[in-house]
Amino acid sequence: MDADSDVALDILITNVVCVFRTRCHLNLRKIALEGANVIYKRDVGKVLMKLRKPRITATIWSSGKIICTGATSEEEAKFGARRLARSLQKLGFQVIFTDFKVVNVLAVCNMPFEIRLPEFTKNNRPHASYEPELHPAVCYRIKSLRATLQIFSTGSITVTVLKRKYTLPTPLDSEQGPT
Amino acid sequence: MFSQRRARILDALPRVTCPNHPDAILVEDYRAGDMICPECGLVVGDRVIDVGSEWRTFSNDKATKDPSRVGDSQNPLLSDGDLSTMIGKGTGAASFDEFGNSKYQNRRTMSSSDRAMMNAFKEITTMADRINLPRNIVDRTNNLFKQVYEQKSLKGRANDAIASACLYIACRQEGVPRTFKEICAVSRISKKEIGRCFKLILKALETSVDLITTGDFMSRFCSNLCLPKQVQMAATHIARKAVELDLVPGRSPISVAAAAIYMASQASAEKRTQKEIGDIAGVADVTIRQSYRLIYPRAPDLFPTDFKFDTPVDKLPQL
Repeated sequence: MDADSDVALDILITNVVCVFRTRCHLNLRKIALEGANVIYKRDVGKVLMKLRKPRITATIWSSGKIICTGATSEEEAKFGARRLARSLQKLGFQVIFTDFKVVNVLAVCNMPFEIRLPEFTKNNRPHASYEPELHPAVCYRIKSLRATLQIFSTGSITVTVLKRKYTLPTPLDSEQGPT
Repeated sequence: MFSQRRARILDALPRVTCPNHPDAILVEDYRAGDMICPECGLVVGDRVIDVGSEWRTFSNDKATKDPSRVGDSQNPLLSDGDLSTMIGKGTGAASFDEFGNSKYQNRRTMSSSDRAMMNAFKEITTMADRINLPRNIVDRTNNLFKQVYEQKSLKGRANDAIASACLYIACRQEGVPRTFKEICAVSRISKKEIGRCFKLILKALETSVDLITTGDFMSRFCSNLCLPKQVQMAATHIARKAVELDLVPGRSPISVAAAAIYMASQASAEKRTQKEIGDIAGVADVTIRQSYRLIYPRAPDLFPTDFKFDTPVDKLPQL
């Protein structure tokens, strides 16, 4: 597989997960009662707030830590997080937007060929692990990039990277060609 | 390393030698308690302590307790060299007090450090017993559990979960894998938890296991379904061919095996329903149906050439 065909493949970022802190205690009950588009999970102790504009679901804890999921790009994640902080501010909390960090990026890619998983696993012994009883995909871990790829037999691959700066095309370069 | 130290200590001890033949290796006569030089017959050392039995043991019929043994025949490799003994339950009427309780009740913790490990070994033996696993798999499981337990990287997990996962790995390593569902059936732990512990143990022990193939389960499933040898061989052939021809990409080998058994049994005199096969294999019958649909088009190619069809290939049920 040469580099040209790598670039031609569409890699779509489907999910960006980020966290930030508000540096103030949040009254979950108040948010649940007065906020718009919220779900209060009392047994766990968190509030889910869903935004429409950047389609984002935020998990709000009373300590002030907030996890935002569902954004399709890093900028959108930051945008959504700020918007969320603003809506909390409108509810009356003294919100300070701090410690914004992108924790996880999930991307999906489609190979134009099918992949034979047992042979693939045999050739990539230490990195790849395949348990057909547990999950139909091969789990391929790249330690240096802190990336986990799930490779399905249909050829679709999901990549999740736990890093601030992600370089998505690179994991594909080290992949094997069609087997 | 220990043996080297021991050898050095022995070198330092004054060695008895025959004064006339210092190089001669002395012969021990344990009955008389002497050390005799073989060259000249001189008795060099005397009053050598006899390490034989203290008393004579006759082979009686009721020789249930061996009087020359002291201590239990525990496996010191697994329980860290436990040499302590316990006071046994009393025999005879004198050991029971008025209410019928035994007078001496002390069965206190004798190996508190390895109590959890011994408990786990007992649990492993119980689980293995339920599915009739041979002793070598149980031993391997015990060894794995000991390694994991000593490493302490999975300390927070339930011991039963780790034990179940060790059992699964041991079966895999011995070449006779059991499905997760089969291990689930004899354990109180959920399949999810066993799967999680399995992955963690592989990472902790830095080992990997071979991939499961359809053939590993054929003999077990077919015997449980009371299918004759020809059907079993046919099913094995079908499943292997199906995987070779890549007719069933992404399907679990168990499902493919179940579908192959279904096809083989339907073509022979011993027909089995999907539900029966699904029960034995632990797959849903819709799953068998899905996999069967994938292999059905190539059915004539998958059967072995010398198979006797009770129901011809074109009359196989189409689902």
